[in-house]
Amino acid sequence: MNQADVSKLISKLRINVAPRHRNLKNPDGPEGRLLKLRKTVTGLIKHERIELNYNRADEARGYAERLISEAIRYGDCHRTTMELADFWLLEKQLVHKLFKVLVPRFREYPISYTRLLKAPDSPGIAFKRAVLELRGNPYPPLTVDSTRNRALLHNVLLDEAAKAYRAQKVTGVTSEILEKIEREHPSSPAVETQESEVTKSPNISEKSGVLQEKSSEPSYEKT
Amino acid sequence: MAATLVRCLRDTLKIIDWAVISVLGRPFPPSDPCLAVAHYETAPEKTYSLDNVFDSAFLWAVPKHRTTIEKRLKRKFGSPDYGMKIYLPKTNLLECNTCGHHHEAGVLCSHCYEKVIAETKEMQEKIQENLGLSPVEQDVVVLYDNERQKEPEEFWQGKRIVEMKKERPPWFSKNLMQRSTQSPASSNDVKPTELA
Repeated sequence: MNQADVSKLISKLRINVAPRHRNLKNPDGPEGRLLKLRKTVTGLIKHERIELNYNRADEARGYAERLISEAIRYGDCHRTTMELADFWLLEKQLVHKLFKVLVPRFREYPISYTRLLKAPDSPGIAFKRAVLELRGNPYPPLTVDSTRNRALLHNVLLDEAAKAYRAQKVTGVTSEILEKIEREHPSSPAVETQESEVTKSPNISEKSGVLQEKSSEPSYEKT
Repeated sequence: MAATLVRCLRDTLKIIDWAVISVLGRPFPPSDPCLAVAHYETAPEKTYSLDNVFDSAFLWAVPKHRTTIEKRLKRKFGSPDYGMKIYLPKTNLLECNTCGHHHEAGVLCSHCYEKVIAETKEMQEKIQENLGLSPVEQDVVVLYDNERQKEPEEFWQGKRIVEMKKERPPWFSKNLMQRSTQSPASSNDVKPTELA
């Protein structure tokens, strides 16, 4: 009837988390599986890029993301979080790294903290390989980053939207100044000269071919 | 005295006779005369005719019904869910935009991958050499030959520098998001780009 709000108990992870964990095969059973995953998470935090089999990489990713999200949410003065870090990180110098290096790095990230990429097959190895890495590592990138290429369509559209936003801001600022002047010095000759200047300033919106309307409301605002 | 002795002997012999009969089932030696006959079995003569063939268990394992076309096709060609028996062409192969080699969609290009992983391993070895087991409190900045001189010494103060004793590979550009050498943006305003 009265369902408790469980949506705020942990931070939302920005990766796909399966409903149940994989039963990774281990001679020591479930305990051995956890020990292997601890070693994997320790290795990931230590080296920031590791190459391993896909299944274990996917499992370790979930635990690593959860560990980092808890560290960001609660910090190092929280006993439970420190115990969690102590459990998962087998090399204790990495507990320092987690709270002092990774938390400041990932605090403002709106996306996942790790990247899981599929590695190419090698002949003779049956298992699919993967590369698991933390974002912001110092190594050369494995994928091509097309976010900075201004010639690509998504950047062309974003640049135009940015220009329109700036133009609108400029007109907003100048209209504020005009209103202020009118209030202080009503019906002064300075008002007419400044009005003519206002029509000249947002040149950017008239010159660009992308914006079709020359009205004060740019197109992106209506959507 | 002799009579009792004879009687004892006779009783003993009777007991022995009784024991032999109870064990063997007949008196020893046999009560009536008989002949011992050497006997061996001759192999039965096999006649191979059609009538005899159907008498033996020769045709017990036999299909009772015709296999349906679905079963036949499944056995011949397999199934995508349970393992295909026939080879199918891969339609998910793409060309890498950087090097031109082919790779499966969703998987890294093997040519670029080999290059990057080799460099990564070198960098990792170098970092581990310098790091040891001391607590890690800063981001690592990896510099190649002649890069340290480009900034004044004060810039490198308080940073964990790892120097690679080699030239920077031409494909590893310096203009990447290295937050340890740049401070993050302080304003939310959209800044104009070089083209704008």
